[in-house]
Amino acid sequence: MFFGPKAPHDQRLKLLKDVVLFKDLSMRDLKMVNNLMHERRYLADEVIFDEGEEGQGLFLVLSGRVKISLPASQDKVVVEFGPGAFFGEVALLDQSVRTAQARAVDDSLILALFRTEFYSLLKTQSAIASSISFQLARVLAARMRQTVLLTGQHHEAS
Amino acid sequence: MNRTLDSSPQVWFGIIVTTCLLLVLFQTVLWLVLPLLLAVVAYYILSPLVNMAMAHGLTRARAVLIVTVLLSIVLVCIGWSIAPKISMAIHEGPDKVKDYIKTGEDLYRKAEKTLSARLPFLHHATPPSLPHPLGAVSITAEAASAPPEDLVTSEVNNFTDKHSGDIALELAKWIPSLLLVPYLTYFFLLDGPRFKRFLVQAIPNAFFEKTLYLFYRVEDQVRRYFQGLLALTALDATCLGVGLWFLGLNAPFFLATVAAVLAWLPYLGSIGGGLLVVLVAAHDAPNNPWLPYEVVGLFIAVRLLDDFVFLPMTVGRSLQMHPLVTVLMILLGGAVAGIAGLLLVMPVLGVVMVAGQIIGELIADERIRARHRHAKELRRLRARAGLYPEE
Repeated sequence: MFFGPKAPHDQRLKLLKDVVLFKDLSMRDLKMVNNLMHERRYLADEVIFDEGEEGQGLFLVLSGRVKISLPASQDKVVVEFGPGAFFGEVALLDQSVRTAQARAVDDSLILALFRTEFYSLLKTQSAIASSISFQLARVLAARMRQTVLLTGQHHEAS
Repeated sequence: MNRTLDSSPQVWFGIIVTTCLLLVLFQTVLWLVLPLLLAVVAYYILSPLVNMAMAHGLTRARAVLIVTVLLSIVLVCIGWSIAPKISMAIHEGPDKVKDYIKTGEDLYRKAEKTLSARLPFLHHATPPSLPHPLGAVSITAEAASAPPEDLVTSEVNNFTDKHSGDIALELAKWIPSLLLVPYLTYFFLLDGPRFKRFLVQAIPNAFFEKTLYLFYRVEDQVRRYFQGLLALTALDATCLGVGLWFLGLNAPFFLATVAAVLAWLPYLGSIGGGLLVVLVAAHDAPNNPWLPYEVVGLFIAVRLLDDFVFLPMTVGRSLQMHPLVTVLMILLGGAVAGIAGLLLVMPVLGVVMVAGQIIGELIADERIRARHRHAKELRRLRARAGLYPEE
């Protein structure tokens, strides 16, 4: 089909299989999720999303590296993500603005899963969407715990 | 999705000009636009069924195939059952049309006499000439010497004899176009999401998220408009059908559905649908002179219900448009593109409005434009790498 995916299909599915969000999905389910995702290529130093923008969904790193930074605090790098990691996941749940900037460190291949498409998945394939939601909740809980610990350590140190 | 967007007068000027240009363009390719529009309506009717089938574990391709096959079976059954009636209607068409027009004339004359009897001052007024039901037609010498009542009847007969073939040919010309509808619907259902992703690939990275949001807004707007229109049609058809059944007309729900579908055409459609049902009432119940007036009363009641209750609940809510803008745009649509403009102006305006507001936002967003320039610069530098020794 002339509007098929750019990356080889099998290779992309293998990469998706390693992503924590999709680890409980079968190959058939994974193909359905894969069909909902948008593939984008970013050059090193290109901005993926900016602080203050309205987020529409989560991004998943297939290859390359992405740094999350806060431009307001002298470009302080908060975290760096490599292949298999995802970021901007809060936008999958609500319509809040981005609180940081995401920028490609290397040339990167990124997949985007948008909120409206995720909602349509919830309606049509609720088992798949529930599995993703459950994994997403676990990741968010882990990240929150980590943040609380870091904040506690910071307070103790000061 | 219901975020309110601020729009400047320039953006609104652009929206109105674009809508008018699109309407003029669509009028010239109506043979393609009409099946596309019907296919979009069919897509929004059938996509919940496809989603339901997919929720039961079927792939999209299988779900679309099953829904299409089931729909084809239903359509073939309906066609099989109504084919003899359609064939009879085509055979008796010209005579039936003459009958109905004659009934209309009689009704007009009776109404005129009744009014003159009850309101004596009308005797002194110049009686208005009866408008010709089929527009301007040339009057033959033989017909000109006849009394006025016979003159109209003979002209009606002449017109139907002369033009019934042309009308049938004109209708037949639409058959290939209408055959496109199931074909287009099938591919909308099957490849709609993939085609959308294909289009999204063309969008530069900096505008990606915002433009995708635009896609969803436009799709949401179109879906809500057509679902609202279908809900409105169902409500209108039910109310009219119950009313006509209560008044004792033949085939009340069929007539009500025809009138409700005709109402898709703003103003003209409602009048045409009402006139059709009044003529049928006058023709089918000649012994009940009050029936046509009761039907007119029913139409006015349903129209009021439609304008003040159903429309704001369905289509009005879906487009979130000021009533004044709605009326002005309908008039403008009719002025620039005739009947096609009246029919298409609301969905086209709905889509152009959302697109215009978001494009206006993108243009006004300096930060996004700066990001785009930065990305372009990175690509330009990458393309130039190694070309010049000094770099």
